[in-house]
Parts: sequence; structure tokens; C-alpha cells
Amino acid sequence: MDFDFTDDQNSLRDAVARWVEKGFGFERRHALAKAGGATRAVYAELAELGLTGLAIAEAHGGLGFGAVEAMVVMEELGRGLVNAPYLHGALVAPSLLSFAPAELQAAWLPKMASGEALVVLAHQERAARYRLDQVTTRATEANGAWTVTGAKSLVPAGDEADAFLVPAHTAQGIRIFLVERAACQVRGYPTQDGARAAEVAFDNAPAQLVAENGLVELEGAIDVGIAAVCAEAVGLMERMTALTVEYMNTRKQFGVTLSTFQALRHRIADVKMQLELGRAMSYYATLKLGEPAEQRRRALSQAKVQIGQSVRYVGQQCTQLHGGIGVTDEYVSSHYFKRLTMVEMQFGDTLHHLGEVSARMQDSAGVFA
Amino acid sequence: MDLNFTDEELAFRAEVKQWVAENLPADLSHKVHNALRLTRDDMQRWARILGSKGWLGYGWPKQFGGPGWNAVQKHLFEEECAMAGAPRIVPFGPVMVAPVIMAFGSPEQQQRFLPGIASGDVWWSQGYSEPGSGSDLASVKTRAERAGNKYIVNGQKTWTTLGQYGEWIFCLVRTSTEGKPQTGISFLLIDMKSPGVTVRPIILLDGEHEVNEVFFDNVEVPAENLIGEENKGWTYAKHLLAHERTNIADVNRAKRELERLKRIARAEGVYDDLRFRDQIALLEVDIVALEMLVLRVLSAEKSGKNSLDVAGLLKIRGSEIQQRYTELMMQAAGPYSLPFVHEAMEAGWQGDFVGAAHCAPLAGTFFNYRKTTIYGGSNEVQRNIVSQTVLGS
Repeated sequence: MDFDFTDDQNSLRDAVARWVEKGFGFERRHALAKAGGATRAVYAELAELGLTGLAIAEAHGGLGFGAVEAMVVMEELGRGLVNAPYLHGALVAPSLLSFAPAELQAAWLPKMASGEALVVLAHQERAARYRLDQVTTRATEANGAWTVTGAKSLVPAGDEADAFLVPAHTAQGIRIFLVERAACQVRGYPTQDGARAAEVAFDNAPAQLVAENGLVELEGAIDVGIAAVCAEAVGLMERMTALTVEYMNTRKQFGVTLSTFQALRHRIADVKMQLELGRAMSYYATLKLGEPAEQRRRALSQAKVQIGQSVRYVGQQCTQLHGGIGVTDEYVSSHYFKRLTMVEMQFGDTLHHLGEVSARMQDSAGVFA
Repeated sequence: MDLNFTDEELAFRAEVKQWVAENLPADLSHKVHNALRLTRDDMQRWARILGSKGWLGYGWPKQFGGPGWNAVQKHLFEEECAMAGAPRIVPFGPVMVAPVIMAFGSPEQQQRFLPGIASGDVWWSQGYSEPGSGSDLASVKTRAERAGNKYIVNGQKTWTTLGQYGEWIFCLVRTSTEGKPQTGISFLLIDMKSPGVTVRPIILLDGEHEVNEVFFDNVEVPAENLIGEENKGWTYAKHLLAHERTNIADVNRAKRELERLKRIARAEGVYDDLRFRDQIALLEVDIVALEMLVLRVLSAEKSGKNSLDVAGLLKIRGSEIQQRYTELMMQAAGPYSLPFVHEAMEAGWQGDFVGAAHCAPLAGTFFNYRKTTIYGGSNEVQRNIVSQTVLGS
């Protein structure tokens, strides 16, 4: 039992933090969001740092790092409010492609590692909400070639991606396919958190089989995504709390700083509570990713329930503590608030995961249960 | 980063688990698992069993006869005891006053007092709170006036937990009124059989006699019972309070009580009611998160790399969780938490209780546990402390 980071992990954290400090100030972020949220150029800069290959095996040109390194990077990207499709392209998609046949891996993973290709998971369907087994998109095989027909929604960075990983129904159940963007109809739009998403339609689009045991592998990929947003949320919450503390120590009302009012002091103490509980459960999420599916799924849902409560409390209360400036577009904290709010709804919201925890409940519970 | 305990830690856990299984009397674990009333004899029997193994002072260093365990080992010991249904160690002797005697007492005081604490033979009480003090501990008014080689003590302590059984009491007393309130306080050990000491029960809202008022009327205390220096007691007390707060998260007991909540919910037919079940699920998440926070503290203590200043958070969250599980148990019983039968909390009681036997103690425990957010520095005082750390002022 050990929650210290290694020197290498600390260096990785510093490298990301330095890039954020130098190259991703709030003005740039704000301008990118205002221009529609396209961030492929930012993704390319992360690639220059080697980060897009973080989770990809060295044999395919990646770094072959593990879940803790992914958490470290996500924390820093969160702290810097970096709106690039990093968790989708560099963490979730590689985890799914690792189940693909060797030639498909060889065709895509090196390009993904270098950042030349952006591949994202396109699993959301209109009526499914957070249920992963609700899939109406269909895939059919003819003469050894697959095609996909259907539609996916809210695909992250959908109009900037080169290919999609698409869960589709087949005669053998749900399977995962890779479909190139050129074969799809894509309609992109900006999102509340300064990024982009897209509606993607497939009409007999040529597809390549990635994973046969589709639902199981999809669940695994979603858990990778949950751990990543939990870590991102920790960075976001930490920075938003720091901004709020700074504000409380400088802003004066009735002739004294906000930090002198006990009602506000107690509020920031509760914010700290939610931040630390969130961080504890982010560690838990990351360190449980390697467990057998049943324990992993329960743990990741538990983590998402905590993070969901934490982001809601920290985001809303830090906005309140800022007063009017907190609800303006020009001030940075409102952008943290918007991203924190969207985190709750990503990969299943609090109520959804509470239902999962409830359904998977055992007689004993605890970190090692 | 690694979530798992080391092989050595797991071997240690297995050793403790086996010893507890072999030595914890079944009648005691039955009472604990069912929240039945524990007598003085029950509590002291377990203390002496632990004492004979050298584990009552489980946090003690080897030089004072303790096992010299590290933070993780202490945690594992607490967890195994809690999960097995062992009575809580009454903390006033081994957990609270002993570390103060070790850190600030004279060698003579250490030889005189520590053996009786380690064996479980001598029952200690805590004399901190006073009628006017609440969470403002430095406002201590009980006076100790030096007269030759003794102190004459006059005043009153209150909320003295299990003081009706106490043989000795460690007290904060005022020895000076000059300067800041904190600077005139001394730490005094008082024999409760001394003439002039009177203990009166305070009956709590659950009808139980758990706490007391202790009156001191011209009580003569030998000066050799002063710990450390006169007027330095506040420093020693803070040392002790630090010990009180890290234990107060009590996450191991919460895990055991969560299991009991599920048993009660099943028996009462609400376990499969999704609206109720979700409340258990939320509590389960809270408990896992608290356990992770505790493990982070232990890891930081073990490696010494990152200090983690979260004692206030542990106290706040731990106490809120304790209140929540007692509340959910009561709500699981629903209307059958209404009857109030004092005797139903005795083991082996065969009377006629309306509702299932497990319902009898639930409301009482819920009412009793309102204390947890009040004692040990109220949660509002804890928020003041946390906010100081966060805001830096």
C-alpha cells in the first residue's frame, strides 16, 4: 500500500505542467473555445511531448506506460483546463484497439502514438442514455467484409477524428468496429466545455472488426474513460479551489476580505473535503482498473459516484464564493465550472452509477472487498 | 503507487486475525455485533485479554512495552478487531493518557502508571470538558492551587465518558490566570478515590448512563502527579488531541456496521426496495472514500514523503458516516424503531418486544450517536481548523 509517485511519474507531471504554463494559457483556451472548439492543433502539441503514445505499446511506437501515468497526465490536463480530445484519442481508443487483430493494430496504433491519427470511441446512441448494451447500429458481413449502418451521437471531437470505434449489433452479439471518418456522414458542433462533438451516421460504411467480445471490451474502455475523467476532475477541482482561495484572500466586502466570514470559511472547508474525497476515489479508480471485471466495474462506479458529487459541490460552491465575477465568461473560473459540470455527465452520471453500485452490492464493502 | 498491502503486512493481518478469532469471547462479539449493552466487566475482560498479549497499548513503542507497530500495522489491528466484533478499546488509558505520560512524564511516573494501563487493570477517565467550555477547551476553570507538596483542586468536569468506572482521571486544571488562557493550564493525574471527588451520572437522550459530571471539592493531589511542567498542560493536551482525531474516523467499525445495516435491511424487507437500497449504496461509496482517505494518510506516514494534513476532514467525515448508518438502520426498522424498552438491550433478554429483536437498540443508538459530530471538537470547530489550513490564515 503506497500512494507516492515515482520520480519518473513526477517528471512526467512536471513536463505536462510546464507545457500548460508555457503554451496553454487561459487566453489561448478561451480563443479556441470561441472559435468553435477545434483542438486538433493542441492534440498535435501533446503528440510532440510524446503523450499521445502514452498508453500504446512500445512495439507500436508508444511509451507503454500504465494507468498511474495516465492519471498523472489527466490531472495536469485538468489543472490546465486543456480542451483536447486526449482521453478519447490517447487512452480510451488504444485500450480498445489492443483487442484488434495484429494487422489492424499495426495499421493504426503507430499513427495514433505519433498523433498523426485521432481515433475516438463512438458509442453513444440517442435512446441509450448511459446503457452500454442499448445498441441499434448494425454490422453485417458479406464476402469477408463488414459494413456498418446506423448512427452515433455526441461523438467527442467527431469532426476532427480520422476514425471511429463503433459498437454495433451483429448476429453474434455486440462487436466493436473501426470505421474511417471518410466513410461517414459527420455533423459537428461545439460543446459547453469549449470542445467539439459530432453526430455520426453510417450507411453501409466499410468497417473493420476490432473486438468480438464487444460489450465486455466496451465496458473496459468506458472504465478507462471513467478513471481518466476522475483524474481530470481532480486537477480541475484543485485549480478551481486554488482560484477561489486566492479570491477569498483578496476580495474585500464590508471593508474586510471574504476569508474573514465564517460562513464562507466553512464552505471552503467543505470544498476541501469534496476535493480530497474525490482525489482518494480517483486513485481508487485508477488502481482498480486492472482488477477482474466484476470488482473493476463496481469500483469504477463507486469512484464515479464520489466524483460526481465532488465536481458538483466544488464547481457550484466555488462559483458561489466568487460572487458575480464567477458567472462571467471573461473570468477563468466559470470555464472550470462548465467543464466540471460536464464531467458529471460523461461516461454515466451519479444516479446511473449509484444504480450500478446498488445492483452490484455485496454483503461486505470496502477498498479491498 | 500500489493499492495492495505488502506480503509482510498481509502476514501480519493474518496473525492478528487468527489471534482475535481464538481469544475474543463469543458472548462479547455477540453483543457488539448486535449493539447490545456492554458492562464494565465486558469491556475490562477484553482489555485484560489484550493486555496479557501486550496489545492493549497497541500504539505503544517497544521501549514502553508496546509492540512497536507502524501506522499500517496499527490500522490492520484496529480493522481485524472491529470486523471480528471486539469491544472498542476504552481509549482514555492506553490511547490517550499513556502517550502523554510517555512523552512528558518523568521516569517515575512512567514506571508507576504505564504497567496498570498496559494490563487493562486500571480504568482511566478523561477530565477535559467543563460545564462552560464546550469546544473551547482552553477556557478551563477548575483550579489547582499549590500548597506545599500538593495541589488543592476545586471545580467541575463534565461529559466524563464511563467516569462511573474510573479509578484515575487525567485533568486539565488552571494553575495560573495570567497571560493567554492557554498558558495557565496544567496536566494533573488524580486518584478518583481521593476525598472530595464526586461522580454524578448524566443520563443521555437514549436513557443510558454513559457520561458523568465529576466534582472536585478541596481534593488534595500530590504534586508528584503533575505531568511535565506547571502551566504547560495545553501543549500536552494538544499532543493528546492529535491522537484522538486520527482514531476518530473509525472507518473499520463503519465497514462492520454497514454489513449489519444490510442484514437489518434484508430482515425488514427494504433491501430490495431500490429507493432504500440506493441510500445504502451512497453510504457504501462514502465509506470506501473515507477508507481511501485513511489509507492515503497511512501511506504518507509510512513513507514520510507527503504529509497529509487531513485530521479535521477525517473527524468530520467519520462522524457524519457514523450518524448516517445509525440513521439508516433506524429507518430500516421504520415504525418498529418506536418502542422504547430499556431492558431489550441486555443480552439474553427474553421479554416481549414489539418487532424483531434487532430493532430494539436502533433508535437508541441513533439518538446516542448525535454526540459524534459534537465531541472531540465539534464539526464546526473542525471546519474552522480545516479552513485555516486551506486559506493559510
